[in-house]
Parts: sequence; C-alpha cells; structure tokens
Amino acid sequence: MIEKRSVSRVIFNICNYGFMIGLCVICIAPLWHVLMASISDPRMLMANSGILWKPAGNITFEGYKLVFRNDFILKGYVNTLFYVTTSTLLGTMLTVLAGFVLSRQTMLRTPFTIFVIFTMMFSGGLIPSYMVNRSLGLVNNMLSVIIPGVINAFYIIIMKNAFEQLSSSYEESAKLDGASSLRIMVSILMPLVKSTIAVVAMFTIVMQWNAWYPASIYLPKRRDLWPLQLIMREILVQNDVSKVLTAGDAVKKADMVGNLVKYCITIVGTLPILCAYPFAQKYFVTGVTLGGVKG
Amino acid sequence: MAHNAGVSFGRRLKRDMRMNWSVYLLFVPILVYFIIFSYLPMFGIVMAFQDFKPTLGFFKSEFVGFANFIKFFTDPEFVRILRNTLAISLLNLCINFPLTIVFALLLNEITRTKFKKVVQTISYLPYFISAVVICGLIIEFVSSNGVITDILVMFGFPRENLLQNPKYFWGIYVFSEIWQGLGYGSIIFIAAITGVSQELHEAAAIDGANRLKRVWHITLPSLLPVIITMLVLRIGMLMSVGFDKILLLYNPSIYETSDVISTHVARMGIERMQYGYSAAVGLFNSVVGTLLLLISNTLSKRLASTSVF
Repeated sequence: MIEKRSVSRVIFNICNYGFMIGLCVICIAPLWHVLMASISDPRMLMANSGILWKPAGNITFEGYKLVFRNDFILKGYVNTLFYVTTSTLLGTMLTVLAGFVLSRQTMLRTPFTIFVIFTMMFSGGLIPSYMVNRSLGLVNNMLSVIIPGVINAFYIIIMKNAFEQLSSSYEESAKLDGASSLRIMVSILMPLVKSTIAVVAMFTIVMQWNAWYPASIYLPKRRDLWPLQLIMREILVQNDVSKVLTAGDAVKKADMVGNLVKYCITIVGTLPILCAYPFAQKYFVTGVTLGGVKG
Repeated sequence: MAHNAGVSFGRRLKRDMRMNWSVYLLFVPILVYFIIFSYLPMFGIVMAFQDFKPTLGFFKSEFVGFANFIKFFTDPEFVRILRNTLAISLLNLCINFPLTIVFALLLNEITRTKFKKVVQTISYLPYFISAVVICGLIIEFVSSNGVITDILVMFGFPRENLLQNPKYFWGIYVFSEIWQGLGYGSIIFIAAITGVSQELHEAAAIDGANRLKRVWHITLPSLLPVIITMLVLRIGMLMSVGFDKILLLYNPSIYETSDVISTHVARMGIERMQYGYSAAVGLFNSVVGTLLLLISNTLSKRLASTSVF
C-alpha cells in the first residue's frame, strides 16, 4: 500500500521508533546491570549507585570462580537439571499420550475430555493438594517436585487439537497394515505434530527451571535436594550468603564477595534459559496463539 | 449409528473397548494421574469444614460446619486481604491489559520487519526470568540506594527502602508486572492483528481515512473477540493474583498493603499449620474466582456476543 508521507506521520514514526528503543533498553538494562556487576571489582561495586553500563573497576571473574567452586550451588544446578529433564520427558510424553487418546474416535472420548477439562476449572487448592501429597509420602522426597503438576489439562487440549487437525488417512492406511495404536502414534502422527510437542516441552522446561515454591514447601529440610532457584532465593531474597560462602571467605571479605556472588549466581541461573528462548520463539508464538484462540 | 440403536449402551461400550483396547489402555496412566493429583484434592476440600488434623486424616477429623469460614469472615485481616487482592489485581488489569494492546498496535505500525522482530524478541525476554531473580532485582533497585529510589528522590520523595513502606507496594508490584508481561502479553494481539484484512485498510485509505481512524474503526473492532476472550480469562484469574512474587517480596512491615488471599492461605496453612482454616480461605477464593469468570463470560456474551465458553 502506498503511504502518504505527511509530517504527522514522520513525527509519529520517530516517536514510535524511539519508544520501541526505549522499551528495549528498559527490558535489558536490569540484566545488563547484573552482568556488568558480576565482573566488577567488588570494592568499586560497593561505592557504585545506579545502573552499571560497564564493569566498575578492573574486570574480575572472582565471583564466578566462587560460584563454580561451591558444592552447594553446583549441587543445586545438578538438581535443577535433573528436575527439568525428568519432568519435561515425563510431562511431554504423558501430554502427547493424553492428547492422542482424546483425539481418537472412541465412545468415551467426550467423557474423558470433560474429565480432563474439569481439572482446569476446579482444583482442590493449595492446602488439600498439600495434604494429599503429604499422605502419599512426597514430603522430603524429590518426586514432590517432579510429579504433581507434571501434566496439565491446558497442554493436553492443545495437543488434542493438534492431533485432530491431521488427516485420518495416515492412520487408516497404517491400521490396514496392522500397526498398533501406540505404533501409529509414535511413528506416524508424532512427527506431524512435532511443533506442538516442542511448545509443550519448552513451557515445561521454563516452568520447571524457574520453579521454587513446590521445593520450598515439600523439601524444607532436604537442602541437598534443593533446585537452584531455592538456593538463589536464600541468597538474593533472604540476603543470606552465610551458607554458601566457606568459613575462610566469610571471615575475610564476606560483605564484598557476598555481593559479587549475588550477581554471579543470577547470571548463572538465568543465562541458560535466556540463551535458549530466541530459538524457541517461533514455536511459542504458535503455541500461545493455539492456546489462546482454541483453549 | 442406526444399526446400533437396538444394542444397549453397555454392549456397545464393551465392543468399542474390545476394538480400541489399546487406546483405552493408553489412557489409564492419565486417568490415574488426574484422579490422584486433581480429583483427590477436590475431595479433600471437605477439610474446609473440619478441624483438620493430619494424624486423623480426611475421614476421622472432626466436622465443624462453617466455623472455619466464620473465623475468616470475622477476622480483622479479612477486609484487608480482600481489599489488597482486589486492588492489586484490578490495578494490574486496568493498567497492564490496555498497555499490551497499545504495544501490539504500535508495534504493528513499525514497517521494518527486522527491527520489529528484534523488539519482539527483547520484549518477551523478561517473561522468562524466574520470579526469584525478578524479586532479587526489585529488592536491589528499590533499596534505599537503588536506582528506582534514586529516581523517586529526584522527584522529591524521601530516601528509604521502598519495600519497608506500605504505600509503595502496589506500585512496585504493578510496575514489575508490566515490565515482565508487556511483550509477552501482546503476542496474541500481534498474531490477531496480522489476520486483519488488508483490503479493508486499503478501501478505507482510498476513502480518506487516516491511520488513527483506520486503527480505531478497522483494527480494533477486528481485535474485539480476542480482546474480550483475554479479558474474560483475566477476570477469572483476578483472585489468584501474583502468588509467588508477593510471597518473595512481602514482609511483616508491609503486610498492610501486600498480604493477599493466596499468600494468607500459604502462610496460615503451610507455616502455621492451620489446615482446615486455610483450606476454607482457599475455597472461598476459588468460589469467588469461578463466579467472576462466569459473570464476565455472561456479560461478554450479552454485550459483545462473544464468549470463552
């Protein structure tokens, strides 16, 4: 379309581009600040105020060394990786399975779908769920972080819609060849809905990577099972570095180094997700649209 | 199917199960999962009417009728946490929601595709940062020598730790929600705008409608169904406001403005172990939430003839 180049249009464009650039700066500035602070000289850091646009003082990786030498933090990292992997594998698998079953032409299809959707509308709430999980022996058990919430109705419905959009001819020809349902699902239908599977997997990864609350109520006494976020809560929110720094560090320079460790652990705990998401972006745009329009 | 009409339901079901046994079998794990982790807790709501003791369980705990609810409604904290819940979520809805639409519209006016892509990618970024990190950042930036405090001081506010003063909490919370959700919340509107017919725009342009008029008369009306759907969903979530961020940010000195129903449930239930009472508060919360969803859905059906369900 040919656009008239009026003065007001030009002014609008300038403002609009300016606004967008400003917005991007505001989105990035806090993280940039943390990144710069994490490689700053801790003594200079104490004196600094405002956003750091470049490292204060000489660049140092002292903080990162401390973080990566710390058994407690490393253990948290390993735990998080374990929780993310297991719950993503299990969750995605079960979601695909459920979506597949609900998209088949069986007599119980509608009741099953209602059974699943009902859980989206009503829930027992925090305390009854806690009681059920507690009586199942999930307190102080690492399964408590993985199993409850591993699948949810919303993703199942997205998955079901994806399967339903496929032509039934694929399935029929395979059935004539004598393939079982599981086989049809795995080798014929799953490759066709792989972008929806990617969406579900990605959201599960992000959710689990960022989760801290379940661990805080179900694993209160098992620090060895804590995910990274819970350790980060102790350091960043409760402002307590005493359990992370070793005795030697604590005596010498606790304040300064503690401050540095805060920034470093923020970067270490956030960077993996931020590096991964631009690649997943094309999937989650379709995912959100699917969910929003049809869900 | 006509030839099935005479056969009883049970018979037909049996045959269906025999034919599709593998499909039914595949559903068993899903069935078990939802029964244990969704339906059992629903049944567990009975504890809201009990003086619940974990050692006695759901079956042997003493029934106390509505005592837990009465305790909640007569508690002096009731008015406070209800007010906070509604105020924080309504503020958030009224400011954040229109902003995501405006952002989508403004982004649509950007003609350089590459620039647009970059802005989109960057604006989604905060959404993927964990609540713990966000709250860590907030705590730093609003501390007595943080950046945001510095800015406020320039405008004549006294220098203090903003998280210790109850009057700032709503602002801090809503601002952090905008920062985190502006880009991400606009995704659905951006997708919907792309679907708006280009021909309508061209026709209107020929008729002499300027940009603003076209946005107002063409783009916005075509977005209306999506806007209403999202609004209904948001209203349904009014009562479940920002649970984990508030839990991380609040402290006793600002409970006055920051304690909401969900944090009250968590504190009373998990920390103070008043299980029956907090289950009752939770039940109240979800009943009100469901009612809000139903009312807003009915309203949107009446007023705009679109609805979520």
